[in-house]
Amino acid sequence: MTSVNKISDFKLERYLLGELSEKEMRELRERELSDEIFAARVAEMRLQGKRFVAENPFVALEAKMAAAEQSANDEHKVVSIMWLKVAAALVIALGVFSMVLLNRNVETFDSKDAAMQVAMADVDDGTRIKGMQVSLEVWKKTGDSAVQMVNLGDAHEGDEIQLRYRVPQKCFGMLFSMDGNGTITMHMGEGNKAIELEPGKMTTLPFAYKLDNAPKFEKFFLLTSQNSFEIDGNDIDKSLKQAGVENVSFTLRKVGK
Amino acid sequence: MNGKNLLDRMAFSKLYEAYAPMVYRRCVFLLKDDAEAKDMVQNVFLRIYERMDTLDFSQPSSLLWNTATRLCLNRIRDKKRRGLDVDSSELLLTIACAEEDDGIEARGLLAKIFSKEQESTRTIATLHYVDGMTLEETAETVGLSVSGVRKRLRTLQAKIKNLEVER
Repeated sequence: MTSVNKISDFKLERYLLGELSEKEMRELRERELSDEIFAARVAEMRLQGKRFVAENPFVALEAKMAAAEQSANDEHKVVSIMWLKVAAALVIALGVFSMVLLNRNVETFDSKDAAMQVAMADVDDGTRIKGMQVSLEVWKKTGDSAVQMVNLGDAHEGDEIQLRYRVPQKCFGMLFSMDGNGTITMHMGEGNKAIELEPGKMTTLPFAYKLDNAPKFEKFFLLTSQNSFEIDGNDIDKSLKQAGVENVSFTLRKVGK
Repeated sequence: MNGKNLLDRMAFSKLYEAYAPMVYRRCVFLLKDDAEAKDMVQNVFLRIYERMDTLDFSQPSSLLWNTATRLCLNRIRDKKRRGLDVDSSELLLTIACAEEDDGIEARGLLAKIFSKEQESTRTIATLHYVDGMTLEETAETVGLSVSGVRKRLRTLQAKIKNLEVER
């Protein structure tokens, strides 16, 4: 039996995790071999760790994670709708202001209807618009506003991207992106399954998406189908070629800062 | 990244399996209650999950250790505020509950000092004074330089001296 020299709990934890420097790891391994008290403490901690994970598995936490995500989504939806209403009111107010104060000739069209058309472009009631196509828009946040990105346009690490889409009729859909490292990120969907999409309205995803340092490109895919479908994260090509699945994509070229 | 995909979740489950035992032991040490510690482990990982897009995962053990420390200190303070029994050392209790005296006459010397300090200083003080970490270990854990940690602790000590003179 050997006396135990003071070692902080955190250092001991990092020893168990194998995160200390090579030199420190070697010292503590040697100590574990020669110091019975230390060895017993380490063995007990290892056993306790295994027991804890077995009794408190990740699935128990996963349910809470899903609930937290849902709650965050709901909050974002409320905020988005609020902003759209504010934007609509501002456009109407500006329209009325410019027509009254600048005394423009407004006899040829109904000013109120025109302002409403502009204002409601993004907040329509979901009715189908004839001839409308599936569309995907990519916007970059800049301070309090946002600029619309063009396909094959330049983007940088750290850019905050906001995705918007519109489908002409009720369908199933999902939105994901692939970066230059081949990493797939799901932006809209239920796991790897498509979700039901409402037609007509331009929908803004509740989350902005920050580009990481992946090189070359970030390509976004909006997949839609009349039937429910899912993708295989290990075989994107096959997923894109599924029968009945339409694909709209948008690519950003990653350039250095 | 805010849109969390399956790979994110898989990576997070690995993170949980590797680090949950450490977080649990940290919470038990600070809260002195097994059931409460288990509940806190979930809170710690949920907090990390919600903010994983903005956090630096280069040193997950430090990130989780600090988050657990901070949340446990908050829990201790909340319990104290609600008049519940708290099984903690006097020093830890003083550090955790410093904000309780914010804006009113602080009774204890440390409470007076901590009531004016950033939340991260409480974590630093807990790691150094309660856990007995060296300056180097504290600095590594909180992601500051050794001189940064030393400066914070010196400032605290200077304030203690000033308060002692004033008394």
